[in-house]
Amino acid sequence: MSKHVLRTNNLSKKYSDDFAIENVNITIKKGEIYGLIGQNGAGKSTMLRLVTGLAFATSGSIELFGNDNPKKLADAQKRMGAIIESPALFPNMSAYENMEVQRLQKGVPGKDCISKKLELVGLTDTGKKKVKNFSLGMKQRLGLGLALVSDPEFLILDEPTNGLDPMGIVELRELLKKLHREKGLTVLLSSHILSELHQLATTFGIIHKGKLLEELSSKELDEKCRQHIRIKVDDSSRGATVLENHLSTTNFEVMQDGTIHLYNYLDDVRTVSRAFTDNGLVIEHLSQNGDSLENYFSKLVGGVGHD
Amino acid sequence: MTNLIKAETYKILRNKTFWGLIVSITGFSALLHLLVILDWWLVSGTAFDQTGLSDMNAVISFTMPLVFNLIVSTLASFYIAKEFSQSGVIKNQIMSGNKRTHIFMSKYLVFSLGSIIVTLLIPFITAIVAVILFGQEEILTFSNLMYLGRAFSLFALQFLSFTAIVLLIAIVTEDSGKTILFTLLFSVVMFAIEKLITAPFIKTLYEHTIFNQFSEVFKVTLTNGEIINAILVGVVSLILIILCGIIIINRKEIK
Repeated sequence: MSKHVLRTNNLSKKYSDDFAIENVNITIKKGEIYGLIGQNGAGKSTMLRLVTGLAFATSGSIELFGNDNPKKLADAQKRMGAIIESPALFPNMSAYENMEVQRLQKGVPGKDCISKKLELVGLTDTGKKKVKNFSLGMKQRLGLGLALVSDPEFLILDEPTNGLDPMGIVELRELLKKLHREKGLTVLLSSHILSELHQLATTFGIIHKGKLLEELSSKELDEKCRQHIRIKVDDSSRGATVLENHLSTTNFEVMQDGTIHLYNYLDDVRTVSRAFTDNGLVIEHLSQNGDSLENYFSKLVGGVGHD
Repeated sequence: MTNLIKAETYKILRNKTFWGLIVSITGFSALLHLLVILDWWLVSGTAFDQTGLSDMNAVISFTMPLVFNLIVSTLASFYIAKEFSQSGVIKNQIMSGNKRTHIFMSKYLVFSLGSIIVTLLIPFITAIVAVILFGQEEILTFSNLMYLGRAFSLFALQFLSFTAIVLLIAIVTEDSGKTILFTLLFSVVMFAIEKLITAPFIKTLYEHTIFNQFSEVFKVTLTNGEIINAILVGVVSLILIILCGIIIINRKEIK
């Protein structure tokens, strides 16, 4: 049994002369919530469309639940639920009828799953109201209900918070956390808002201009975004002693390259530098580092407004 | 594929256009039969006249390509093409893990059945009902029923190829308006070939198409050779068009 739910190998998709995505390698382990972040047009939806079988790769391969035979990919897709771009719904049918169509085409036995899923997404009281009269948020929730109708092991959501109000976003987040916690659901989400994914994802893939720039865990991302003073002195072990004895702090790390990352005294850099110089240490570098999530992301993709 | 057929059946039964066509064709057909039986509308020179089935002449109107074209393309527009464009629900079907070939075949089977009900079955049933209601049931002799059975079976066979063509047009164009337009255009081209082209090769080619068979199968007498020819044209066309459809849907990227 494969530990990986999804693995892509040099996946590329070309439209005319342009690559929508180029040599993308992502790996999603079972039970992960993978956040695919990128600006509009970065290639997120193309990536998800390839994985869900809506489009075909120009080159590279997709391994889904350990199955990389393109002809058998459809079977593996039965274990998936997905919303790509916007929820695809029959406007002249009710929520129940939309769920019934999905249940039938997914081959889910019994109709109990419909009411359960409608309850899960908070649409039990819509009755015979037609989907065309639903709000954007209700449509989004129904789309999620459709994706969940067969109790998938892997859920793919493309910009799932589009159209949701702040409460709706919180509810969706809590629902996904619950499904992840209780059913071990593996989730692949895309968004262009890093802070939105940050509260949910356990792993991040940052995509820009069709290329995967970085893949990192939420812990690694937190580390990178954590505010700190970066200090390089001529003797790092003595530097650490100075911090402990003279500034009474242990909230620092000595990195492999000998630099010290100090996580407090952020507003009092002068005290820190004086402590080192008073103890005869030579400061080679001292700077305040760490980014907000947005800054980190925009630096990675080449700055704000860069596209 | 059974699941897909169930899903397609569920969808067509909740499709307003399908019910709209059933109601309007039933009304229209009943009216035409009434006009023919009461001699308010004089139709003559049909194959039905030669067999004594003149009171059912209105059925012939529904076997004219331009008429059934409009009915079938309307159904295709609002049942098939719409799934690819406005609602985009085809995405759910593709992502559900079903094979594209099965998706195509389930759509084809349910769409063709729906088209046959609306275009053939309803006019035929209303004709029988009208004939019986107006006390003309003596025209429904065994030999006439055999003739009707043969003609409609062969017509239905050709019609199955036609619905496959319309389905293909709907899938390729992904647009309700274009589906109707291109289907009409296609029929106009076929009509033009039949009436205007005199080149022997094209004439022979046309004679071996379903469009020629649509009128041929209603001949009062058909030789065994002609029946076999009609069956072959229908079956071969059907296989070829379905194969084309399967190839197209398997290569189609869903927007």
